[in-house]
Amino acid sequence: MTGGVVNIGYVELVGASLLMLVAGIVSWRLRLGQTRRIAVSTVRAFVQLLAMGLLLVYLFQYQTWWLVGIVLVGMCIAATQIATGRTKRVMGGLWADTFVSITVSSLVVSFIVVEAVIHADPWYNAMQLVPITGMMLGNTLSASAVATDRLLASMDSRASEIYTMVALGATPREAAFPSIKAAVGAGMTPTLAQLSAAGIVQIPGMMSGQILAGADPIIAAKYQIVVLLMVSAATTLSIVVMCFLAYKKRFSAEGYFLDPALRDDIGSQG
Amino acid sequence: MFEAQHIGVQYQRSGKPFAPFSDVSFALEGGRLYNLTGPSGSGKSTLLAACALMLPRSGGSLVLNGVPFDRFHPTEWRRRVCLVPQAAALVPGTVRDNLRFPWTLKVNAGTQPPSDGALEELLALAQLNGVTLDHSAAQLSGGQQARVALLRAFATRPTVMLLDEVEAALDEESAVAVSRLTRALLTGGTTCLRIRHRADDGYACGTFTLADGAISYEAHPATVSNAPVTGEGVAAPAPRERSR
Repeated sequence: MTGGVVNIGYVELVGASLLMLVAGIVSWRLRLGQTRRIAVSTVRAFVQLLAMGLLLVYLFQYQTWWLVGIVLVGMCIAATQIATGRTKRVMGGLWADTFVSITVSSLVVSFIVVEAVIHADPWYNAMQLVPITGMMLGNTLSASAVATDRLLASMDSRASEIYTMVALGATPREAAFPSIKAAVGAGMTPTLAQLSAAGIVQIPGMMSGQILAGADPIIAAKYQIVVLLMVSAATTLSIVVMCFLAYKKRFSAEGYFLDPALRDDIGSQG
Repeated sequence: MFEAQHIGVQYQRSGKPFAPFSDVSFALEGGRLYNLTGPSGSGKSTLLAACALMLPRSGGSLVLNGVPFDRFHPTEWRRRVCLVPQAAALVPGTVRDNLRFPWTLKVNAGTQPPSDGALEELLALAQLNGVTLDHSAAQLSGGQQARVALLRAFATRPTVMLLDEVEAALDEESAVAVSRLTRALLTGGTTCLRIRHRADDGYACGTFTLADGAISYEAHPATVSNAPVTGEGVAAPAPRERSR
């Protein structure tokens, strides 16, 4: 099964981390003040990835549908934490919106792919569900964080237009719609760019990993096609869900726009 | 016709408590034009915004033709009690796109947008003769933009018009044209309250003064140009029950 796989020894693994010395030296010489962060990030990547590997070994061995379910929910919560931490404009209530947006989009697309394309056996097989959901979450969390930032920035820059539209009888959705459109459109651009660059500029990470792990390049390519398509679908879905949930946070119950002056009071209460 | 009863406004503005008035009452009668004055910072714009349900209020009620504001959906209320803010923004597109913009909203779904002829008539009445409906809104001057924003609100024929210094960007001649147009639209029981810093133009039947959290009213001597406008205009549609 592991035909052409060349395992990496732990000595070599530690040796590879010496490559981070380049980043460390640059940071030290240019006084970027990032030296500590570089060390912490490197150690974190080490520990987290090995822990994930270890967890998967046990999960594959003892998997039941509810154990896999718990792991998936845990991954969604962790992804939400990371996504909300990235958004500069943190507001009450946005956590739930982010959770809904990335969880729904990632799980829906993952299940479609795992059940209808890969035909996993058993249907909850962690070997397919966990890595695929993980890839979906990684992509949707950054997409929804960027889309939220863009949506709120666009609404703030259109504050006077939104105010005027509401004064003419527009509902919050009608007043926010041009911003929603802009945020969704902009959010889809990197996904489409990635699709058209695939295979020419770069061999995407997942395909590279499979080839390195000894898989047939054609099988790897087929998996990569499925992954790219489902990433596009999941990010688009998460951006749309996120935008249609998040714009409401900028309006009061009576439907007037909460511009920056009004926000300290009401915005924090969600 | 339109009544504000014990209206108060209180909220955190940029983190600091802001409460310009806590108990303000006034009434407007149909077919008349009123001025609102007061020292800067007394809360004139805040009062207009509160009447259009655009700010957090601390209490009080608003009544339109005997119907309290909470019987309306907020968007239905704002369609009838229309605030034209001081720096009204235009939407991207042509002058026609802007004047017809209210009819892209759900709140006006039941009514037909005005014809090009009617819109051109409005432009002429506001002394925007050089401006065609196909003009790009972004290319208009500040004073022209202010008038297009005003006409956009007028075209929807609201019952109460709340104008926040809309003439600030206009020269004297256009300001008078706007006042004349405002008065011409006061048919069918429409009323208008406007914030104004210019010398009186004789069209208002009285002046409200807001100072130190209290409002006072002084009627102007009756003349031909400030007499109540009578005659049937477009009747306001019956209020739709609030859906929430």
